[in-house]
Amino acid sequence: MEFKDNIPIYLQIEQYLYQQIVQGQLPAGTKIPSVRRLAVDLTVNVNTVQRALQQMNANGILITKRGEGNFVTEDEALLAKTKQHLLDVELQHFTEQMRQLGVKRDHLVEILTHYLEEYTDDR
Amino acid sequence: MTASLSIKHVNYHKNRQPILTDVNLTVATGKIVALLGANGAGKTSLMRVIAGLAKNYRGEVAVAGKTKLAQRKNALAFNENLQGFSKSEKLATILSFYAAVYPDFDEERFNQLQEFMDLDLNQRLGQLSRGTKAKLVIALTFSRQVSLYLLDEPFSGIDVMSRKKIINSILLWKGEDATILLSDHFVDEIAQVLDEVAIIKERTILCHVPADQIRERGETVSAYYEAQYDEDI
Repeated sequence: MEFKDNIPIYLQIEQYLYQQIVQGQLPAGTKIPSVRRLAVDLTVNVNTVQRALQQMNANGILITKRGEGNFVTEDEALLAKTKQHLLDVELQHFTEQMRQLGVKRDHLVEILTHYLEEYTDDR
Repeated sequence: MTASLSIKHVNYHKNRQPILTDVNLTVATGKIVALLGANGAGKTSLMRVIAGLAKNYRGEVAVAGKTKLAQRKNALAFNENLQGFSKSEKLATILSFYAAVYPDFDEERFNQLQEFMDLDLNQRLGQLSRGTKAKLVIALTFSRQVSLYLLDEPFSGIDVMSRKKIINSILLWKGEDATILLSDHFVDEIAQVLDEVAIIKERTILCHVPADQIRERGETVSAYYEAQYDEDI
């Protein structure tokens, strides 16, 4: 995975895992790879992976089972909230970009609707 | 917890020239730390002082709490350049030498590393490419079971694939309590595996900070490193 060098790596690891969870590669209740496996797969330090996982444990999105590892929560409400948060982050970014291009908030829906009608082959 | 490495007020002269001036550095157990600096800043000298190869310095150096030279040497592994071996020496002979000299040498671990690095023990030292030689040095160094690993410019002059292989071997074989201090004059390609960076300039440690703390300010590690040297350019 490519990391940006001006954003803390532990935050980027969290983002990566959140995306895996939301996209369904790591569904509710599944065990996530071991710390060392993640470190090698992502080419990052074990300590950094641990910091990211600790954060996700504190948020409740991951549950540690003693001697077994970390599992994705089965709390559907929390998972939905997490997904909403990821969407909000993207939408905030989009809205800000549009604002910089001179598009006001009340024109966003109109512009997006028009775009979606025009470009139907957009995945 | 005892720090893995503690350096206090180290001063080192050679032929009446100051080489290191009031160096202070403490590294916590389990960290991967890069010692960054321009050529001639004192990286290798500091490594040699820690390893006990440079003598007659003033100040205190402790590795895993041990200050006495013999005990300290047993607590650390320094990546050697293998210059003591003739070019016609077979890798198998070098391996036997290491296994005999270091009581903490773990042959099982060497076998795993050898397989991972794809090293052929029937080859002779002189036949190895720079990348393969660098891999051999890492395999020999990490087969020792010590608390501190000193890697002096482990990636210098080697290709991307060898570098990746070496970085992965560090991530795979580094024990939780093992600490790594590696020196380089370039940080880009290793930045994401580092816990901390220590920058050496003009014979002393200028700063020592967690890599993610630099990124929390929106800066890149390499820009931060270059900024420490910027005023000279």
